[in-house]
Amino acid sequence: MRRFELVLPGSLDECVKALAQAPADSKLLAGGTDLLPQLKNGLLKPACVIDLSGIPRLRSIEAGNGQGLRVGSAVTARTLELDRAVRANYLSLAESGALVGSVQVRNLATLGGNICNAAPSADMAPPLLALDAEAVITGPKGERRVPIAAFFTGVRRTVLAPDELLVELAIPNPGSHSGGSYLRHTPRRELDIAVVGVASQLTLANGRCAKARIALAAVAPVPVRATAAEQALEGQAVTPDLIKRAADLAVEAARPISDQRGSADFRRHLVRVLTRRTLTTALARAGA
Amino acid sequence: MAKQVLNFTVNDEPAEVLVQPWDTLLDALRERMGLTGPKEGCGTGDCGACTVHVDEKPVASCLLLAMQARGHSVRTIEGLGKPGALHPLQDAFVRHGVPQCGFCIPGVIMAAAALLAENPHPTEEEIRYGIAGNLCRCTGYTKMLAAITEAAGAPVGRRS
Amino acid sequence: MSTVMKTTRDVKGIGLSIPRPDGPDKVTGQVQYVADLNPRGLLHAKLLRSPHAHAKIVRIDVSRARALPGVRAVLTAADIPVLKKKAPTRAHAVLAIDRVVFAGQPVAAVAADEPAIAEEALDLIDVQYEVLPVAADPLESMKPGAPPVAELGTEADTSEAQAHGSVAGVTTEVKSSKAVNISQQARLQRGDVAKAFAESDVVIENTYRVPMVHQGYLEPHAVLAQWDTAGNLTLWASTQGSFNTRSEVADVLELPENRIKVIPMECGGGFGGKIRALCEPITAVLARATNRPVRYVMTRREELEAGMPAPQVIIKLKTGVKRDGTLMALEAEAILESGAFSGAVLAVAGVFLASLYLWPHFDVKGFEVLTHKPSIAAYRAPVAPQTIFAIDSQMEQIARKLGVDPVEFRLRHLQREGDKMANNQPWLSNGGVEVLTRLAEHPFWKKRAEWKASAKDGKLRGTGLSLGGWLGGLQPTGATVRLNPDGTLQVLTGQVDIAGTNIALAQIAATAYGVDIDKVKITTGDTDVAPLTGLSAGSKTTYTVGVAVMQAAQNARNQTLEIAAKELEASVHDLEIDGDRVVVRGVPDKGVTLASIGKKGNLYMSKVEPVLGASHPAFSVQAPAFCGQLARIEVDPDTGEVTLHNFVVVQDVGKAINPAQIEGQMQGGAVQSLGMALTEALMYDDKARLTNPSLLDYRKLTAADLPNIETIIVEKPAPHGPFGARGVGEPPIVPAPAAIANAIEDATGVRLTHLPLSPERIALAIASAS
Repeated sequence: MRRFELVLPGSLDECVKALAQAPADSKLLAGGTDLLPQLKNGLLKPACVIDLSGIPRLRSIEAGNGQGLRVGSAVTARTLELDRAVRANYLSLAESGALVGSVQVRNLATLGGNICNAAPSADMAPPLLALDAEAVITGPKGERRVPIAAFFTGVRRTVLAPDELLVELAIPNPGSHSGGSYLRHTPRRELDIAVVGVASQLTLANGRCAKARIALAAVAPVPVRATAAEQALEGQAVTPDLIKRAADLAVEAARPISDQRGSADFRRHLVRVLTRRTLTTALARAGA
Repeated sequence: MAKQVLNFTVNDEPAEVLVQPWDTLLDALRERMGLTGPKEGCGTGDCGACTVHVDEKPVASCLLLAMQARGHSVRTIEGLGKPGALHPLQDAFVRHGVPQCGFCIPGVIMAAAALLAENPHPTEEEIRYGIAGNLCRCTGYTKMLAAITEAAGAPVGRRS
Repeated sequence: MSTVMKTTRDVKGIGLSIPRPDGPDKVTGQVQYVADLNPRGLLHAKLLRSPHAHAKIVRIDVSRARALPGVRAVLTAADIPVLKKKAPTRAHAVLAIDRVVFAGQPVAAVAADEPAIAEEALDLIDVQYEVLPVAADPLESMKPGAPPVAELGTEADTSEAQAHGSVAGVTTEVKSSKAVNISQQARLQRGDVAKAFAESDVVIENTYRVPMVHQGYLEPHAVLAQWDTAGNLTLWASTQGSFNTRSEVADVLELPENRIKVIPMECGGGFGGKIRALCEPITAVLARATNRPVRYVMTRREELEAGMPAPQVIIKLKTGVKRDGTLMALEAEAILESGAFSGAVLAVAGVFLASLYLWPHFDVKGFEVLTHKPSIAAYRAPVAPQTIFAIDSQMEQIARKLGVDPVEFRLRHLQREGDKMANNQPWLSNGGVEVLTRLAEHPFWKKRAEWKASAKDGKLRGTGLSLGGWLGGLQPTGATVRLNPDGTLQVLTGQVDIAGTNIALAQIAATAYGVDIDKVKITTGDTDVAPLTGLSAGSKTTYTVGVAVMQAAQNARNQTLEIAAKELEASVHDLEIDGDRVVVRGVPDKGVTLASIGKKGNLYMSKVEPVLGASHPAFSVQAPAFCGQLARIEVDPDTGEVTLHNFVVVQDVGKAINPAQIEGQMQGGAVQSLGMALTEALMYDDKARLTNPSLLDYRKLTAADLPNIETIIVEKPAPHGPFGARGVGEPPIVPAPAAIANAIEDATGVRLTHLPLSPERIALAIASAS
């Protein structure tokens, strides 16, 4: 690793101030599981790194009664995997946390890091999209909220200005008749990265689908929603045939590339398979 | 870019050590403190050889800056047991003839110790996932499973 | 040799699963690997590596790097006068001179006070490249007109084949005039292939492809170099053979060998990848330039981009058989992609393809092809897994097509001792038939139909097996066994112990001398003090060093008994060792302690010679060793994911010196074999740049991907092995690719011929078949 200055703010205010004073190429360090490999490989050579681990607020999870969930950006994947409140109503998010890296990595990797690194394969992005989460951002001009679908602007690019940081994700409670699921395909069971990831969230009312969300990872420069598939489900009684049709429609939202992790053909194939499976699971969970 | 003072607890004893801002926790332990039990196999969190406990949780110490451990409690393989006073896992690893080249072993044992602390009677599946972040190229993991299972006091079972 | 083999009581020696004595040090993190050494004044080395696979170096400017505070040396090829343009091996190509031939090739070297400073110095080195056309694909590279890889006139390197001592009698010729990148060719022929194909009823043709794979040792290459004022070099190395490292470094740096001391540190895995010198020469040069100890530790990215992986192997295979199952003809073309420097074990492919099963007519052509990729080295049973993948997959398909039992079909045609190999050498005593027979008796094989029928929830189930092996390695070696003044034994070899061979050697010494293992200590000495010895490679440590230790211990025993005979005024033939004493047989109170004999060998004015058993044998007879593997799998046809439910390894080890250590070899080898089968591949783009340079994307199997590996040891004694032992390291890496491919076909009906058998390949093949 090349040399850099390390700043250790103890509060959000200190961090915002440090960020404002730091050089433009400064990097925020949360779990380090994405940033450190990039620093080690020389892909990034910042003069200054600001450590977020000393800011308690970023590590808090609040699940108000029916008010939805607020997850600090420095909450670890391991916490999401195990947290009761997350598992109770936001299971797809817990499932995505459980799939990241290995336990040694999950104890470091953070929700905010996964989102702000903005890799197309980020596991936590599809559940957040499927749950209609909002990113709470702060900076010298104060706080702003951005729907997660608008947060990603390209491969490794987000709406964050150089002097801003992600504070938390605000996730509305999907309600008791809603169920979600996240699945991804990897050649190995652990210690791997998504070839394709799919999150589905179904909310039922009177035996019909009141709301459907399907979000895909690693099939486009940014995580995407499969809106045509969602529309095909909404207002309908969800049958295996309809799920099959929705899965076919989801493929149309994918614009995958071929790379070392998988060909575009295989990725489209996986979108169909994983959409079908996550919808099936989401339906069962919504009904349960 | 001056060195920074890192105050933390290492293997149950308070420690104060000068580190560079860019030192990883692994660098600090190995190069500044002589604790060379944790190994660097990849430097990117993909092999588990550097596994230590921070506040009793297993982490890849190659992915953490040393200063991020300030105020925390770190345990390395050196703080688990010693020759002559081995931790049950270490004892089982020796008796089952697990180590070959030995490079992955400190990391595997630290991952297994964290697993057993959280889940004293894991299933075979839970053990497999508990050490899935630790690559081993010599053993094929089978003897590790037997040793960890024995150390946990559970009967050896097969996956059906 | 004169031997006193018989001991009158059983000693704790061979045949027992004794834990290795360094186990406690290994599980407590106390053992020292190179990177754990941190001597006073240590400098850290880093190498600037080419981003291009093929380019001319127009200009290198190191002035800014040299000016960076904390930098102690910056070197380019111009600073190292011994470097030559026609580098015959990777080790000789210390730094590129005026042309780089693979991405990752070192171009400049830095030593600095801190690794971070060395890295910044690399950023400050200005290299101007002129990018040249790239030979990225071996099939293209072997055509006339391909961009040349080696400097014209560079000789092929066949030392790897010699080092493995595996195949005699195959003539390899070097170079054809037009195809500049074909560095070696071999051909094995017998009979009339065209006529035999014409008379065949079933002809099957396939092209099998196995990509470059990395040995995957967990400890990256590392070395520490230091010079003394008299000009002697000490290297603390992670090596599979300290004497080989010494020879190569001496050759590259033009130093007398006795000026170099190689201290073999604990080796964190090698598997063939730490035989050849790699970063030792440049680290030595940096240490001399700075007059400081210099440590170089490769990063994992460097390991994957610029290590010495196994070759890509492409085998075009055509076979013909009669409807009654008679083998008729085999025609094969094996292309081994060696990367930028020659060095493949070409002949192994030919011998396994044409003579594991007895083809009366065959024509096998082998080509070693150079490309602009990192040059290759051995990887556990070099080229055997790739070759067995092809021939065993083919045998399975023939059996299926003929509708005969696949095991009976293999057994009918499998070689036996005395049969003629493709190179006209006789097959030596081996347990091929016994291993395959034992595997076929396993309930998982007998109940394969039930397993297939038990599939549910849209999954598919199948069973597959395969037989593979290794011809056995040979290399001269030596050992001494000393009797200490307290009656304990001291064994000394120069053999690097990676996998636990030292405990096996100590057990051999205990049994051969006639004392319990707890009286024996074994040491691996450095190159200044240890007897010359070979590589820890090729499944030959126990087989060859075991003989040296056995003979040295017998020699020490004879010396001991002769001294005792004088003291006791008895015939040597009436003496035996009982515990810690030499006694007259039948007269148990007439004896002398080993300690007193040992003590007299070290007393002032004593006339008793110290006991020093020595042996330094060379060998001529190999011991082939076979391994059979069986996989019970489940396939998810939608995602292509394979779940391994059971995996069985049966292996002929001759005589199990230490069964637990052998099981560890069988299990570890099997999992490497499974990795090659299922997930591993170094992937390159069309500019020959590695696209997966991390352990995230170079996928070694984890504990979560695997079942317990069941081991069954078969013992068919090797006539010349120590107590009948055969080598055990290589065979278990051989069979899994074919076993898994066979199991996938059993489950899904789809036959795959390209490794790895990835979910993508499986799922898309199933989708296109249905």
